[in-house]
Amino acid sequence: MKIGVFKFSSCDGCQLAFFEMEEELFKIPSISYFLEAQSVNEYGHFDVSFVEGSVSNREDEERIRDIRQRSKVLVAIGACAVSGGIQSVGNFEELLKTRPIKDYVDVDYELAGCPISAHTLRDFLMTLLHGRTPSLPDHPVCLECKRKGKVCVTVSRGEICLGPITRAGCGAICPSYSRGCYGCYGPVSRPNLEAFLKCFPQVEEPIKLSFNAYNKVYRENLWKSE
Amino acid sequence: MEVRIDALTRVEGEGALDIRIREGKVEDLKLRIYEPPRFFEQILKGKPYHTIPDITARICGICPVAYQMSGVQAVEDAFSVKITEELERIRRLMYYGEWIQSHALHVFFLHLPDFYNVSSILELSKMEKSLVNAGLEIKKAGSKTLEKLGGRVSHPVSVKVGGFYKLPESLEELEEPLERAMDISFSLLEKFKGLHFPKMELKDIIFVSLEEEDYPILKGHILTSDGMRIRKEDFKEFFEEYTVEYSSAKRSKRKDGKVYATGPISRFNNCYEKLSPMAKEYAKRLNLEAPEKNPYKSILVRMVEIVHCLERSIKIVKDYRRPESSQIEYKAMEGKGYGVSEAPRGILWHSYSFDKEGKIKSADIVPPTSQNQDVMELSLLLGLEEVLSQGEERIRDESEKVIRCFDPCISCATHFLRVFIS
Repeated sequence: MKIGVFKFSSCDGCQLAFFEMEEELFKIPSISYFLEAQSVNEYGHFDVSFVEGSVSNREDEERIRDIRQRSKVLVAIGACAVSGGIQSVGNFEELLKTRPIKDYVDVDYELAGCPISAHTLRDFLMTLLHGRTPSLPDHPVCLECKRKGKVCVTVSRGEICLGPITRAGCGAICPSYSRGCYGCYGPVSRPNLEAFLKCFPQVEEPIKLSFNAYNKVYRENLWKSE
Repeated sequence: MEVRIDALTRVEGEGALDIRIREGKVEDLKLRIYEPPRFFEQILKGKPYHTIPDITARICGICPVAYQMSGVQAVEDAFSVKITEELERIRRLMYYGEWIQSHALHVFFLHLPDFYNVSSILELSKMEKSLVNAGLEIKKAGSKTLEKLGGRVSHPVSVKVGGFYKLPESLEELEEPLERAMDISFSLLEKFKGLHFPKMELKDIIFVSLEEEDYPILKGHILTSDGMRIRKEDFKEFFEEYTVEYSSAKRSKRKDGKVYATGPISRFNNCYEKLSPMAKEYAKRLNLEAPEKNPYKSILVRMVEIVHCLERSIKIVKDYRRPESSQIEYKAMEGKGYGVSEAPRGILWHSYSFDKEGKIKSADIVPPTSQNQDVMELSLLLGLEEVLSQGEERIRDESEKVIRCFDPCISCATHFLRVFIS
C-alpha cells in the first residue's frame, strides 16, 4: 500500500500525530511521500493520501486537485482540512479566503480534530491496512463525557460548552479539565443548532473561534453563506 | 549553475532554497518560505484576551506550549497579575515536557538520519533499531508530561491566564517514564560521541537567549553574547523585523545590522552555568563546551537540554502536591503587556494591547524561526564552501543538512502577514 502525506495551510500538529503513533508508525508498509518525515519522496500514485491544512490560493487549489487524481482514497486530516481551521476566521473579516479541501475535491474520509488524535489515526490506518472500512464517530462529545462520568460544566456551572453539537473523538478532554468544550472536532453532521442557540444566544462567537468556523454544516445552517 | 530545492524535507512546514553558483563561488542564495500566511495577529484583533492561549497555540503544532506560555504571561503583564511560585513551577514542568518532546522529535526523527545518510527514521530503524527505540522512549516521557498536565500533546487544553483550568491530583505516574528517559539518554552517550560533525564556525554572529534564575525557558530578559541585557518590553528597540521579496516570512536582525542566532546553541553558550548538574555532566562527556560555534553540533546541545529538562522535571514531579487553587484571581484592564519565553527553537516574543474589557486591540508575535533565517543563510554559505565542486546532488544534500541544524519551524514563521494572495 502506497501512502502519501501532504500539507497545506496549517500548523503541522496533525502530521505530528503520525510521529505520536510511535511504534505503530513503523508498521506502515510504504510511505511514498511525506516531506516532514523523509528526504527521499516519490510523487506518483497513492493508495491512500492524507491531507493536512486548508486551501488558501490558486497554487494550492491546483495541488489538491492533482493529489486527488493520483489518490485512490483521500483522507482530510484535522480541522484545517475538514473545516478551514483557525485561519478561516479570516474569511469573515475579509483578510483572506481559505477553504476546506472538500470545497475543491471529493474526500473519502474526514478525521476530525485540532489536532487529530494519534489513537484515532492509528486505528484508522490499521483498519484500512486490514482491508476493512473504517467507522468514524458522528455522535456528540456529551456521550463521551457522560461515559467518562464527568460533571457537566453547563448543568453545574452554567458555562458554555460546545459538547452537544461537537463531534466526539477527543475523549471529552476539555470538560475533564473543568472547562467547556471549545468545539475543535467540528460539528456533528446534524447538530440541533436551533435548540442550542436558544440555550446560548451568544454562542456564535465561540463557534467562530472553534477552529472549525468554515465547516459546511455551520456555513449552511448558521452563517448562511457559500 | 543553479541549484534548487523546491521543497525542503524533514523540517516543519514548507520552504525552498535557490542557490546560484558562479566560478566556484556562491553568487546568490535565497531561503524562500512560500507557505501562505495565516494572519494570526489580525485574527486576534477584537477577540477576548482569554482566547490567546488557544488561538496562538495553533501557530505551531510542535511547540504550542511555548505560544501558550508567552501568551498568558503577556496578558498577566498587562493586567498586573503575579502568578504564584507554585503555579510557575508547574508551568515549567509542562514546558520541559514540550522541550523533551520537540527536541526528541527533532533529534531522532528529523536530524539523526543525516548522520547515517538515510532518508528517514524508518530507514534508520532498520540499521539501528535500539537507537530508534531509545529515541521513542525519550520522546514518550515528554509526551506523557504534556498529556498529564494538558490533556494532549499538541494544543493542550489546560493553560489559562492566571494558571490552569485544572491540575492533576498526583503526578506520580510521570516519575517512571522520566527516570527511564534519563537512563536511556545516558546510555546513548557513546552513540552521540561517535557521530561525525563537519567543521564550521559561526564567527561573527551574536548568540541571543533569555536569562533568568535557572537555565532559561519560561521568562526573563534578553541576553546577547556581546554583553547586552535588554528588558522584554524593549526587544523591538534593539531588534527589527524586516521582509525580503522572496519569502513570506518576516526576518529579524539587531538594529546595528548584526546577524544573530537564537535557540539551543545560543542558550548553551550564554547560560551554560545554569544547566542542571547531570546536563553539565552530559555535556562534559560529549566534550561539548561553551561557546560552541559549530551549528552541526546542535544535535548534541539538544540532547544536553533534554537531560536538563528530565532532571528538573523529575524534581518537580517528586515534590508535587496539588496547589490549593489551580489559578489566581485577576481583573481584565486596559493596557499593554509583553511575554517572552524560550520555545524549543529559541526566543518567542509576544506583545498585546487591550481595551478596558480585555479585548485585544493589537497583537505582535515574533517566533524563533523568523529570527533565525539570516543565520541559516550565513551557515549555508559557510557549509557549502567545501562541497561546491562536488556536483548538484551533493550541494542539495549538504544544504538540507545545514538547514536542519536550526530545526526551522516554517509554519511558525509564516504566522504573520505579508499579503500576496492570488
